[in-house]
Amino acid sequence: MMLVEILEIAGALFAILMVGSGQLRLNLTLFAWQTMMLAAATAIQAKVLHHEELYIIAPLVAGIKGLLVPIFLTWILRKIGSTYFDQGIILAIPISMHVAVAFLPISYLLASSLSYHSWQPGTIGGVTAGTSLLFTGIIFMLTRRKAMSQIIGFLTLENGIYLFGMTQTKDMPLIVEMGVLLDVLVAVMIGGLIIFKIKQSFEHIDVTQLNVLKED
Amino acid sequence: MKTLFISIYLVFAIVGLPFLALFLLRKTKAILQNRIGPPLLQPLYDLIKTIRKDEVVSKDASYLFRLSAFFVFSITLLLLFVVPWLPLKPNLFHSDLFLIIYLFGLLRFFAIIGGLDGGSPFGAFGTSREAILAALTEPAIMLALVAVAFTAKSTNIASALAQVDWHQFNHLPVWLLAATSLYLASLVELSRMPIDDPNTHLELTMVHEAMMIEYSGLSLALIQAAYALRMLILFGLISQFLIHALAIILPISLLTTAILTVVLIISLSIITAIIESFTVKLAWRKNPEFVAFTLSFSFFASLSTLVEGLSL
Repeated sequence: MMLVEILEIAGALFAILMVGSGQLRLNLTLFAWQTMMLAAATAIQAKVLHHEELYIIAPLVAGIKGLLVPIFLTWILRKIGSTYFDQGIILAIPISMHVAVAFLPISYLLASSLSYHSWQPGTIGGVTAGTSLLFTGIIFMLTRRKAMSQIIGFLTLENGIYLFGMTQTKDMPLIVEMGVLLDVLVAVMIGGLIIFKIKQSFEHIDVTQLNVLKED
Repeated sequence: MKTLFISIYLVFAIVGLPFLALFLLRKTKAILQNRIGPPLLQPLYDLIKTIRKDEVVSKDASYLFRLSAFFVFSITLLLLFVVPWLPLKPNLFHSDLFLIIYLFGLLRFFAIIGGLDGGSPFGAFGTSREAILAALTEPAIMLALVAVAFTAKSTNIASALAQVDWHQFNHLPVWLLAATSLYLASLVELSRMPIDDPNTHLELTMVHEAMMIEYSGLSLALIQAAYALRMLILFGLISQFLIHALAIILPISLLTTAILTVVLIISLSIITAIIESFTVKLAWRKNPEFVAFTLSFSFFASLSTLVEGLSL
């Protein structure tokens, strides 16, 4: 196992541990750690593969997704003054974490059934981590109530797609990756503002109650 | 000369280290709360004081009440020799992982019998809670030990610890994750802070303290000594795992291992005291969420052995 793979899988493990807590601030902290692991993996991948573009992408990922987005979302949480706890829906929180753990070997089997080129070092670990992050993000979005959790789950899913793309493409064009980062930032900003508006109009951010249009 | 050194080390580790670990735990907590704290030999004075006191046994209690205290202490002594928690320790027994797990189970069985036999409502209260926690943590401990044993392809934990896997980086996550899982499990097992407050004064919130609330005199001393030795065994096993993870990166001699074990046991008890000072006790219904993290780390450890097995 190489250092890149260990960092990528550590990111996936942080995401799984994130599913195990209902505290929104702890979720954001663990999301930041997960993104930092992926950024470190990107920097090492740049050194191994001699891709100069990845040297620019790594600090951008760390700065925007690892620092700016969690800080902004924490600020939104404080601003709306809602409870910092999400009690979950469909599955109990510990069980949803164990479901996410169960998807880790499934993603390993998926990753090892793909075929790889010889120039890709440490790919099985990267694809395992990427697929696992995808599943983890989906499980997180499915089993939570709050709109804030939906955003965190979406960002985890996006991290998975980013990691999968990084391990599969030979040279990811810098401009595409920067565009994706900008999109994520804008999506988080809009999501935060929408949460703020929802809180103002409905006095809660519980998405399970948003399918009722009228109050009776 | 070498034999003399080894005997001094073993006697210090088994007799002195539990008192030292307990002292450092209390002292660190006291310093963090701006108190002076107990003197170095306070755990020893406490033990002597408790032994010399008269024993009061409830009139509802049967012979099992006092007997279970002796059983708890003797099973802990057996565990002390079975578990490979100390380097240089002669391996008198085959330290099978299932033997270890079921000896821990037997230990808890007698503790529970003794707690129930006292006839006090608080004893029954604490006992039922302890039983629930035990049922929750047992799979985590079992999976972590199985993951470690899988690296040596044997159920003997001692042979897993004896193997030298210098520069086998595949084994590094197994040892680290198993150590993390075992540490979180030992916080539950030893009734430390996120689960149970050892300093609480209210019987309704106690877990471990409520179970031994009816004991006094010699029986209490035996149960407290068993607790200190159990802490030593668990922390020692965790430090063996951590040292083994370190041995993958750089070669370590036997002497360094012996010294590192003592340092790690002491630092683990200081870390436990720091955790205890900065966290609050979880509400009882939140405890399964904490234990779920322990189980997840065990799953990670066993999955990392599985990955290695598949890629072979």
